[in-house]
Amino acid sequence: MIKMPDKINARHITEILDKGSIALLSESELNEIRVHALECMSCRDAYEAARLSAVVIKSRAEVTIEPSPFFQTRVMAALREQQAVESVPAMLRLWRSAKVLVSTMAVTTAALAVVSFIQPAQTTPAPEQTASAYSAYSVIMDQDADDQMSYEQVLSTIYEDDDDAR
Amino acid sequence: MDLARQAQGGDESAFAEIVRRYSPRVFSVASRFFRQRMLVEEAAQEVFLKAYTQLGSFEGRGSFEGWLTRIATNTCLNMVRGAKRRPEFTVSDLTEDEQGWLEQQSAGDGGEPASVENSVVATDLADRLLSVLSPEDQQTLLMIDGEQASIKEVAEATGWSESKVKVRAFRARKKVREAMEKLLSYKGGRVSG
Repeated sequence: MIKMPDKINARHITEILDKGSIALLSESELNEIRVHALECMSCRDAYEAARLSAVVIKSRAEVTIEPSPFFQTRVMAALREQQAVESVPAMLRLWRSAKVLVSTMAVTTAALAVVSFIQPAQTTPAPEQTASAYSAYSVIMDQDADDQMSYEQVLSTIYEDDDDAR
Repeated sequence: MDLARQAQGGDESAFAEIVRRYSPRVFSVASRFFRQRMLVEEAAQEVFLKAYTQLGSFEGRGSFEGWLTRIATNTCLNMVRGAKRRPEFTVSDLTEDEQGWLEQQSAGDGGEPASVENSVVATDLADRLLSVLSPEDQQTLLMIDGEQASIKEVAEATGWSESKVKVRAFRARKKVREAMEKLLSYKGGRVSG
């Protein structure tokens, strides 16, 4: 009896292919697939793809990298390093990792302080230069200008004082 | 196990012996996930450092190798989880060697790759196909279809239930088969046949 390719059968074939490794399929299952594949193009493609996939996956699984002769030494060194790190107090570890950054920041701050407070004092203009722009006399006179009394007011004030004294 | 007990007690030489004895096993697990020696060694070292810190949790109920294998599997899975996967795999990604290999295999009766060159091409192709899967599915498929491991062995190595392993294997096999089908048929034609 020739099996007619239909949807249910095709699905059945792909289920067989996907449910387990093709290498572990029984002879009856393989025969069923082969017979059906003669008439059903999609199942033939699926079978071919499953077969080739199995070949490449087996090939990939055979790739194994062997440990080098130094691997044991490397692991033990890493283990000791890990133990040494764990034995150091947390604050000390923090300082060790951050000391470069902290030192750099301290130097930068000191440099900024020097630039801000010491350097500007040296560049302050000399008193003579200031005087050229604002003489002491004019500044004093200008400041007093608003309060300055007239000549008559000064005289009357003096004489009033004299009268009071008599 | 004596070595494990001695190592638990802080005996470094016992742990060094554990590293020597079990590193081939750990490398074998890591090789499923990575192909570059540097990455495999890095993963294996991480596994042993983790094992050392977790020695106290080994109660000796199962085998030490099984316990270490689980640590190795989970460590490698964690390492590759963050890696970006290729969203899609197309025939244009294939090298000439890979296309030639596919044609040769399709034309023949399905013999396994004989030469070293063929084996490398097949392995590259496998990596490309497996890249469509999650790391967990890759692991499952490589163990079951590649190493002929049983569902139970995969469950023990990963800590998953057997039903979860079955579902993962089914899904992974289907995805890889479909990806291979896409490769075999392109531009309305076939690679061969």
